[in-house]
This record gives sequence, C-alpha cells and structure tokens, in this order.
Amino acid sequence: MELRQVLQGVDLFEGLKEDELEEVAKICYEKRYFPGDTIAKEGDNSDELFIITDGFVEVLLGERPKSSARVVVSLGSGQIIGEMALLDQGPRSASVRATSDPTIVQMIQRQDFEKLCLQNTNIGYKVMRNLAADLSFKLRHRNLIDR
Amino acid sequence: MAVYKVSYVIIGNDHPGTILNQNHMPQQGEQVQLGADMFEVIEVLELMPPRGEFHYIHVTCQPWQKD
Repeated sequence: MELRQVLQGVDLFEGLKEDELEEVAKICYEKRYFPGDTIAKEGDNSDELFIITDGFVEVLLGERPKSSARVVVSLGSGQIIGEMALLDQGPRSASVRATSDPTIVQMIQRQDFEKLCLQNTNIGYKVMRNLAADLSFKLRHRNLIDR
Repeated sequence: MAVYKVSYVIIGNDHPGTILNQNHMPQQGEQVQLGADMFEVIEVLELMPPRGEFHYIHVTCQPWQKD
C-alpha cells in the first residue's frame, strides 16, 4: 500500500486532499521497532512526531532510576506519539515502548512539519485542528478511565 | 472508507486501556483482542461527532470469560 493511502487512515490528516497527503508523505521516514525498544524517553528533548502505522506501543509514566514506570495507555494503528513536545517544545511527557513485532511508525521531524504547515496553510490549519482534536480525544479517554 | 478511532477502557483488571483506529464499528457483546488478552464489549458510546470518514468511539470492556 502506498504511504499516501496509509496516511488517509490516520485522523491527524483528516480533511487533507490527495495532493496534500503526498506533501505529508514526502516528510515521513519509516522506522521499525521490536518489543521492548524505546521510541521516546520521558524527560528527553526531541523533535519528532511519530505515527503508528502497524503494531502497538505502551506509554509509560514515572520511568526513573530505582522506580518502576506504570503503563498509562496502549496505542495502536493510526495513533500519534510525541505531539505534546512537538507543540510546546518541552521535554517528552512520557516514555514510549514498542510491544509488537514489528511496530512500524512514520517519523516527522519538527522542522519539516513546521515548514510544511507554513508553506501550505491549508495543511497547517487542518493538521493543527486535528492535533487538538487528538489531544481532546486522549483526555476524554483518560476521563472515562477515572469515572 | 469509514475509520473508527476507538478508546477501549477495561474494567475488572489493571489493563491500562487502548486507543486504536479500526475499520469496523465495535458492537456490544463482541469479543476483542487487546494485546495478549481477550475482552468482551459491554458498552459502546460515540465520544465526539464524526468528522469526514472518522468516527470517535468509546468502548468499555471486561475480561472475556469462557463459558
């Protein structure tokens, strides 16, 4: 399957036309991970957004020396990782570990992402709106766990 | 092609819950596999209104118990 078709199934890109999806595909880099591999580490400074296109990851909080982390959610196909650091440029808010064999992600560098959003403000507006909706969805999921 | 973004919350054990995109609408009573374990869907809600082809769904599950 072409990357453009894969991206069509990711809600971060909802509303983008085919040629706009092609533009996004140009700044994606595929990476493969295996169970136990760390994709992002809590507290680290990094500049990447990841889109899971196959497999599952677990998101962990509180990973420190001499203390065990707890898994707060498992994310599967179509979900995004690293969006908070991408938006606020702060350190990683959680660690992310691959749990499936393989876990395939598409990685986007912040610099490429921001450049694309500025060059094509239609893409920029829609992707930023979808990013906000994704954060809202995750918050609603969290609220339902706590009810 | 419709895509269902589903928030799975598990009651009755310490599973942290799962979010994933899938190509079918979850149904009450169906069995789902999340990781290594099987669960039974006991509640399905629309979490947010759909946008384009995307539907935003919440599902509550419990561990599946074989009869």
